Amino acid sequence: MSDRQPPTSRAEPTELPAPLASPKRFGVAVRPPHYAWNGEHFVSDRLVAVDRASVAGLPGRIEVVIEGDFVGVVADSLDAAQNAARRLRLEWRAPSHAGQGDHDQVPLETGARSRELAAGHGEAASAHRHDYGWPSRLRWGDAPGWVVADCSDQRLMLWGETITPEALIHDLMTLTGLPAERIELYGTTPARVSGLGRHCGDDAAVDAAVMSRQLGCSVAVWLDATYTRDVHALGQAQRITLSADLAESGDIADYRYHQAHASGDIAAVGLWLCGRPPIRRTEASGTPPFAPYAFSNVQLATRRDDHGAGRHSESLAEIQQAFARESFLDEVAHESGQDPLALRLRHLDDARGVELIASVSQRARWGEALSSAASTSPDRLRGRGFAYSQLPDRHQRIPEGVRSAWIADVEVNRITGDVTLTRLVVGQDAGPEVDTDRLQQTLQARVLGSARPLLGRDPAFDEWGDGSKDDKNVDPTPGGVLVTRTDMPTKESADAEATTSLLQPLDDVNLAPGVAVIANALFDATGVRFRQPPFTAGRVRQALHDQADSLQEETPGRPTKRPGRRWLKAAALTAVAGTAVMAWPWKGAITPINRPAANLYSAETIERGRLVAAAGDCAACHTAEGGQENAGGRAFDTPFGTLYSTNLTPDEETGMGRWSYAAFERAMRHGISRDGKHLYPAFPYTAFAKISDADMQALYAYLMAQPAVSAETPANALSFPFNFRPLMAGWNALYHDPNPFEPDPGQSDLYNRGAYLAEGLGHCSACHSPRNAMGAEQRGEHSLAGAMVDGWEAPPLNRLSRSPIPWSETSLYDYLRHGASSLHGVASGPMAPVVAGLGELPEYDVRALAHYVAVQMDAPAGDSETVRADAAVRIATAQSGPAGMEEGERLFEGACASCHMESGTPSFTSAQTSLALNTNLHSQHPDNVIQSILGGVHADHVPGLGNMPGFADSFSDSQVVTLTAYLRARFAPDQAPWRNIESRVTTIRQHNNSPSPHP
Amino acid sequence: MTQAISLTVNGRSYELAVPPDTPLLTVLRNDLELNGPKYGCGLGECGACSVLIDGMAARACVLPVSVAVGHEILTLEGLASEGRLDPVQRAFIEAQAAQCGYCLNGMIISVRALLNHTPRPSSAQLRAALEYNLCRCGTHVEILEAASRAVAINAAESPEAPHE
Repeated sequence: MSDRQPPTSRAEPTELPAPLASPKRFGVAVRPPHYAWNGEHFVSDRLVAVDRASVAGLPGRIEVVIEGDFVGVVADSLDAAQNAARRLRLEWRAPSHAGQGDHDQVPLETGARSRELAAGHGEAASAHRHDYGWPSRLRWGDAPGWVVADCSDQRLMLWGETITPEALIHDLMTLTGLPAERIELYGTTPARVSGLGRHCGDDAAVDAAVMSRQLGCSVAVWLDATYTRDVHALGQAQRITLSADLAESGDIADYRYHQAHASGDIAAVGLWLCGRPPIRRTEASGTPPFAPYAFSNVQLATRRDDHGAGRHSESLAEIQQAFARESFLDEVAHESGQDPLALRLRHLDDARGVELIASVSQRARWGEALSSAASTSPDRLRGRGFAYSQLPDRHQRIPEGVRSAWIADVEVNRITGDVTLTRLVVGQDAGPEVDTDRLQQTLQARVLGSARPLLGRDPAFDEWGDGSKDDKNVDPTPGGVLVTRTDMPTKESADAEATTSLLQPLDDVNLAPGVAVIANALFDATGVRFRQPPFTAGRVRQALHDQADSLQEETPGRPTKRPGRRWLKAAALTAVAGTAVMAWPWKGAITPINRPAANLYSAETIERGRLVAAAGDCAACHTAEGGQENAGGRAFDTPFGTLYSTNLTPDEETGMGRWSYAAFERAMRHGISRDGKHLYPAFPYTAFAKISDADMQALYAYLMAQPAVSAETPANALSFPFNFRPLMAGWNALYHDPNPFEPDPGQSDLYNRGAYLAEGLGHCSACHSPRNAMGAEQRGEHSLAGAMVDGWEAPPLNRLSRSPIPWSETSLYDYLRHGASSLHGVASGPMAPVVAGLGELPEYDVRALAHYVAVQMDAPAGDSETVRADAAVRIATAQSGPAGMEEGERLFEGACASCHMESGTPSFTSAQTSLALNTNLHSQHPDNVIQSILGGVHADHVPGLGNMPGFADSFSDSQVVTLTAYLRARFAPDQAPWRNIESRVTTIRQHNNSPSPHP
Repeated sequence: MTQAISLTVNGRSYELAVPPDTPLLTVLRNDLELNGPKYGCGLGECGACSVLIDGMAARACVLPVSVAVGHEILTLEGLASEGRLDPVQRAFIEAQAAQCGYCLNGMIISVRALLNHTPRPSSAQLRAALEYNLCRCGTHVEILEAASRAVAINAAESPEAPHE
């Protein structure tokens, strides 16, 4: 993460003020454990005590900023600040007036049940009634970014992204007491302004301002997925309930509209925490909805601003109202079997409006089936939606207002949840005299702007980069938005027109149908109704997933809650004893299918699957030595006997060609083969259960798209009773948790991504966690505590690490990305192919893995000077050998020293890291040292790493023993001599010499 | 499994189809017919197989050919330039430092690597540089004399090199 740059390097604006261009201090805001906006009040835990000593010992300058319940940690680098924030001990107390009950939130999608309306709407339930919501915060976009504040000398400068500059300035005025003209905002790209409401860039901006104000220097805050906590905490800004009854004719007979809150934006979280509630605005708000339709018996109710949540924003209210109304009409049309467009037309008695809709519908060919060209891909869903609105023109130039009719085509990737807007036809009638070119220009810019926060990607823990470069990591170029006002000097050459329209979004342009049209098209494509924006990939995917679940209850392979776990445990123990095995329900076979066509899945799904396979390193186990990739047949010695990996290629006879996705998923998550047999946990389904659905499907798509290889899997040779597969049912009940991965909301997105990769696909624990007598990974403090696997020791990846030089996040990254770390040495043994597999992964993923492991090890971000000095001392100490071990010395000088000792001349082939820093020589077990002497070190698959030859054929057992003891004494003088070298050498030689069963 | 490999040896480029884990020495001797580097122990112990890679000594018998891709390989055959032997080669001829001669490739390459890095080495540095090059005939005295002579010739022919 050292390559995180402050905005200087790529900021385009040429005249950024110096404090913003090169911030020296980096801040992290520490939120209370619980805080929420409940629609009326902001409620949070109260800060009781701060233990500043808990961060006092950390290197560098660390400042803790406290203001009310706001806590910030400021340090010399982002890493240092994040590290200190993790360690800072705080004491919180729950608020006395807590427990206000769950605020009534609109269900986000599908299946909204009718609920009693607020007082005054309790009459007979209408035939059609739905709730629509609007979030208080949108996500800020696709990539994390910097926000920098400098508050000194009675002025505040801020660099960052906002799409609601007026609201942000209002918050900053409240915070600092400065007048508006002493607050300067900088940023870029006005075209992205959406007018859809505030995003959490504003919260980050206020955080930066609070810290900068208290310290009197510029402070940079990193806006990343940690701010999604704010999105959740602030909940809904608006909730609209619509209901209607239909007459016999299909006309809407009764139309009722009820808006729960006044329109307004919720102040930034930092402002609430600092105890500076926003100033109340007394001006009346709560625009009565302006509906273009003529319904009979209309009842409207909106709420006046009486809680001081924030300021009122007229255009946002209009968009919210249009979203609710146009979504509702679409639902009524579907529920009553009418064409959504026709339903609207029959309630429109405005000739120009009817004409506009007719022209748009003709242009978009409404009513014709969507082209079936894309239906070759079953992971693509297509749909089309319509929305219409008419809004008053604020400048009174067009008396009847601006009419706007939209038709949108979308394509949804069923697996990733990505929504692509494939076509948009917008008809706009802004009166008799229209500058069409300008209108089109503005529309294009604004529409693209709206689509981004609506359809962007969530920072999901299972999101993949494109594998080409460091794509996710930190683009400090503001992906955002110009923030400027007409009454202050513009800091860059933004075109004046765009700037103007930014603040008067409805000047000539009516964007109100833009959100509803996408919601309606999404419903058409997927059958899922989204009643609250945004429609990000993660939400769409989740919704499709839930829909699939409710459609086919009891799908085999879907993890279900296990009631009566205690009982299961007892029964499982019986099963292990071998008496009541048959009491266990047999898992049925899943019907074989014909092999799916190779072009069934889209290229992007298969590419995602390729990355999944690389991260899971399937080929490492499923490829026999010298065999075809993934064709299986590799032998595994376990304490219970020999197992062989299976053929993963889509061969119909010997591979997975006839496996349906359901069968594949069941095997991956539950360890049950297609034919119903239990698989042994040498296949790490205990880890693979954590793989997300999208990744699982992509993996299936990838494997099915590979060439089929006919290769029969050799029969396993397990000793009794382990050869009796049904025993695994009991094993699973005891040791297997089939629930998918849950990200930890209290951790960063980097951590969660790393945890997902390490615990799921990467199955690190399969090797690095010790197993109990029944071969199950141990959890808790034993998790990642190191283990012996296939004749090698997988060293501990937690605090038990015995590495002579403590690992740092930087060293871990070097090791995982390049296969070598200068303070630890190279990846060898079974770890070498793992590093080779990681080579396929995007930069961000390897960083995430390193970060996750570093946290498990409690490792610092980088290697300090102290650590480097310690390494130098260890190397110097090992310059000469110990006395009395002449034979070992002779062996070492003859066989090893030419590469492992410095000769004063640089050599291309000598080992780069001194043996004095070698973890294996400092371990409790001599196994890896013996393995390396006998078999050498081979990292052929990792570019740029050399080989060490094996000495199995030139050393006798006793020479290996002598040399091993000598190496331990010379290079790990602080460790006790190993006692069991002789027996380990014999065992390992036998293990390595056991004839391979493959030709 | 063979793989297309491009190597740069003695200033020339070669396109080869060999398994990527083949030792560089095998490729040099068998495919490129460069027999200056010798096969001694095969375990990186004796130094007979030494070549220069980017000017540094490298034991070609333990180096997978794939790792040498993208680097400048120089063998004994490539040391001479413009028809004139390298100063180190001339010194070894003048000192008649050969018995059987099998180790001489490695000795010459090691001294060359040392001079590339340290143009005016002390005699202790010379000894250290040759410590892990084995000679079975016991010609060490002559070899060290040749090495000292090489240092002298090298210094005389490259006067611009700074004194240590």
